[in-house]
Amino acid sequence: MKKILVCLKQVPHKDARLDVRSDGSWIQDDNIKFEINDYDSYALEEALRLKDKGDAEVVVATVGPERAGQSLRTALGMGADRAIHIWDDGLANTDGLGIAKALAAAAKDENFDLVFTGLMSDDANHGVTGPMLAELLDIPHITGVVKTEFNNGEVEVERELEGGALEVASLPQPCLLAVQTGINEVRYASLKGIMQAKKKPLDKKDLGGLGLDAAAVAPKLTVEKIYTPPKGEGAELVEGSADEVAGKLVAKIKELGLL
Amino acid sequence: MSKTLIVGEIQEGVLREATLELVTAARELGGDLVSLLIGNEIQDQAGELAKKGGGKVLVADNAAFESYTADAHAQAILKAAQTESPDLILISNTPNGWDVAPKLAAKLDTGIVTDVFKIEQEGGEPVFIRRLFNGKFNGRFRISGSPRIATVQPGAHAAYEGSDSGSVEALDVSAESRTKVVGVRAAEAGGHDLSKAEIIVSGGRGLAKPENFPEVLQPLVDALGAQMGASRPVVDAGWLPHNYQVGSSGQVVQPKLYVAVGISGAIQHLVGMKNSNYIIAINKDPDAPIFEVADLGVVGDLFEVVPALAKAIGEAKGN
Repeated sequence: MKKILVCLKQVPHKDARLDVRSDGSWIQDDNIKFEINDYDSYALEEALRLKDKGDAEVVVATVGPERAGQSLRTALGMGADRAIHIWDDGLANTDGLGIAKALAAAAKDENFDLVFTGLMSDDANHGVTGPMLAELLDIPHITGVVKTEFNNGEVEVERELEGGALEVASLPQPCLLAVQTGINEVRYASLKGIMQAKKKPLDKKDLGGLGLDAAAVAPKLTVEKIYTPPKGEGAELVEGSADEVAGKLVAKIKELGLL
Repeated sequence: MSKTLIVGEIQEGVLREATLELVTAARELGGDLVSLLIGNEIQDQAGELAKKGGGKVLVADNAAFESYTADAHAQAILKAAQTESPDLILISNTPNGWDVAPKLAAKLDTGIVTDVFKIEQEGGEPVFIRRLFNGKFNGRFRISGSPRIATVQPGAHAAYEGSDSGSVEALDVSAESRTKVVGVRAAEAGGHDLSKAEIIVSGGRGLAKPENFPEVLQPLVDALGAQMGASRPVVDAGWLPHNYQVGSSGQVVQPKLYVAVGISGAIQHLVGMKNSNYIIAINKDPDAPIFEVADLGVVGDLFEVVPALAKAIGEAKGN
């Protein structure tokens, strides 16, 4: 049976209103909604499609606080078989490398045939965890995957380059694929799936349980502060009722000689 | 004295502009500069980089580097890092750059920051500035550990224009890759070519559902005699085909007028349209990054503004 790991991150919901904390350390995230990172949803769907086609176990893992368990339950509801929830106060300020180390420690004895991650997260947008995890597991990786085909221990993928060009590459298994959004159409968890998810195993692990300590995952990248970008010259804003605005836009388009 | 290693990139036989931008970024920081070029039969490009400010250019020139693979390129960069002991490694944030850079950081067990658009010096160490939350915020980052690794956003720095008499040295490195490149497929031509459109009206996630493209956006497209474009989330959701996508992974456009409707302006979209001659943005969020590149902005409900605009254009044409 094929064993597949999908790493996912819980991030602020797309429609959540985001504000910077008064000390600038991060966003104000006490009272906002969270969801599975978009890229990771596509990664999960890609794994679930393999499971649908044959004999495979899909394991989902996340590094995140208590609330991230909800995203694992959602993934189990969508069809994943079991979940690993890694959290420890020592991970609170870690960076991509620390997260990759925690995931690698959880994955190393499992001998996964395939590992899926998203290309990046929609919050910090670093895009480093996947390739780092592959390096720590000593397996090859490829990022920006928009198509996969699995046969005889090989994976043929299409990787997105610039301007719509695609690279076709072949990787031996085990390997890690960091997928791009749009690779598939992500399913929703069914009611039945959500009911079944409650009975599926969800293992919690802290740093000690992974054979790590806070020093091993101490961040090498630190955020000093985040802030709303200073407004440059920016756009000249047009105000008024819809009709008034439309009138002003028409005047501008005429001035451009396009009407 | 600090030392920066820049990792250049050759695309279809040509030294990338982004590499000369790294030269600028490295020279702004001061200190020693060493460049690395990886490829097969690339002596000419190495000579070019040396003349264009790349300093000492190390060349990993080997049939094993014919195609980019993370495995092979990481080995070459690692060798250069071991040979030169740089304090900072700069790599362009391109599909190859973002693929290899984190692997290298894990190999070196060091800190990495990606998609940086500005590097400042503060207290003798670099502070890296980049966007996060898809452009909604900026962040200032510091790296501990050595060497520091940063990927730099293409276009954020001007290409270095000075000339110099650098040198070229071979970097002796062999490489093997578990990943094999089968080939590259060029972008699909035709279908929906936006490159020659005078006016483009693009819709984003703000349109809320696929039916709103024909029902709400199309009347404005028709009134302006424009072509329709879209942002990535719209294409990812399958609302419009891929060839409608404007952005770094879609089409890069430069029309006389670009109207962005319900598009927040993630960097990957901005890269594809910011050089349009005139940009009008309609979005309900006053903090949306799209307003930073727009010439004229409307903060409001697109479902009111767009129909009113389509009607007003129709009336203006009738006059």
